[in-house]
Amino acid sequence: MNGLIEQWIDWLPSLVDGLGVSVQLAVVSLLIGLPLGLAEALLVASPNRIVRWITLAVVEFGRGTPTLVLLYLIYYGLPSQGLVLPAFGSAVVALSFMTGAYTSEIIRASLQAVPRGLVEAAAALGINRWGTFRFILFPEGIRIAIPALMGFAIQLFQTTSLVFLITLPELLSRAYSIGSTTFQYTSVLALAGVLYLLVTLPSGWLAALLEKRMGRHLA
Amino acid sequence: MISVANLKKSYGDHTVLDGVSIEIQRGEVVAMIGPSGAGKSTLLRCLNLLERPDSGRITIGDTVVDLPAKIPVRTLETLRKTAGMVFQSFNLFPHLSVLRNVSLAQEYVLGRDAKAAHQRSMELLERVGLADKAGSYPARLSGGQQQRIAIARALAMEPEVMLFDEPTSALDPELGLDVLAVMRELAASGMTMVVVTHEIHFAQDVSDRVVMMADGGIIEQGDPAQVLSSPANPRTQRFLKAVIDR
Repeated sequence: MNGLIEQWIDWLPSLVDGLGVSVQLAVVSLLIGLPLGLAEALLVASPNRIVRWITLAVVEFGRGTPTLVLLYLIYYGLPSQGLVLPAFGSAVVALSFMTGAYTSEIIRASLQAVPRGLVEAAAALGINRWGTFRFILFPEGIRIAIPALMGFAIQLFQTTSLVFLITLPELLSRAYSIGSTTFQYTSVLALAGVLYLLVTLPSGWLAALLEKRMGRHLA
Repeated sequence: MISVANLKKSYGDHTVLDGVSIEIQRGEVVAMIGPSGAGKSTLLRCLNLLERPDSGRITIGDTVVDLPAKIPVRTLETLRKTAGMVFQSFNLFPHLSVLRNVSLAQEYVLGRDAKAAHQRSMELLERVGLADKAGSYPARLSGGQQQRIAIARALAMEPEVMLFDEPTSALDPELGLDVLAVMRELAASGMTMVVVTHEIHFAQDVSDRVVMMADGGIIEQGDPAQVLSSPANPRTQRFLKAVIDR
């Protein structure tokens, strides 16, 4: 038991560094992916048929393609087209694209779930389309979307472990490389699992808290 | 003040408004009664173009809408500024405080500064007897209170006409009383009002004219006492008997 603790303490600095990379990757991908998702959600409802179809194709591609395939396409595929992205950049592009596609569906459904009467009330007050979106639809829709978006964010954080396959030194790849030199795979992967939990569990609690707070005024 | 000429509206092959015409004078209070499906609410919602009629002409104040031509955005905005609406289900914005519900459109649509909007909102909340609820959120209020705030919200746009779509139908009778009291006061102040309602007493006491609709048209209208106590049309007789017997 003492040996295990000592091992873990030995490995911890490297793994914590890796965790930092994982968190960074998830945060950057969300910062790019969420606005992308909002844009896609709005464009899918565009009155212009061509805009609508193109957006729908992008969304379906993003949702229908395994994330690993996206990652490989960008990291190994793009260089053959003359575009070389570093591992972190490739991972951000793939995960943002995936985030945009998934969250666009969450946001679209949430906007649609805003009671029709509120939009009518805004219209009856003479508030134009943009004002209705800004003051009513968006704030109401986001409240509906928050739980699902938080759930997605936690899932995305776990998905960052995939990028160890394109040699980005995040948590799982650090654990894997320690495993390959010490052959203590079970032990080091268990520690990695604990570190993932240290992020996902509090995030889940935060999500629940936020959901409660935002729902405070709603019946 | 309001003039509607030969207004038609159908959904598929179901005709909701079958060439309705009506003139309403400034300051007049018109109660629209009739069975559900008669087209009362649709007519009301056509007046501020929440429902787009298929054909006909609507004039409110100086604004004229000729259907089926495309309606310019400016016309739409002017029309909706001229006519305030109160809905059966209140439709207050749940994420905004009572005060913000009343002041939002004043600032965004009328361009009032925050201070003026705040002041006007408080005056109106005072008028509907709910100044003490300014900081509350709609979900914390009773239906009757919510509806009175919805009235204040509509009045904040300084409309020349107020449209009421069954304003007390979602309320239990006691809560409805406060709403009706506010509406009486509003009528007494000279507001032009069109009220779709099942409240026969309100129609009798407050309105200047009762309009009976059935099957997409106006089948009888006139002085409340006459229409409500000795209706000429057998359809009106049947409807009123059903309402009173309930």
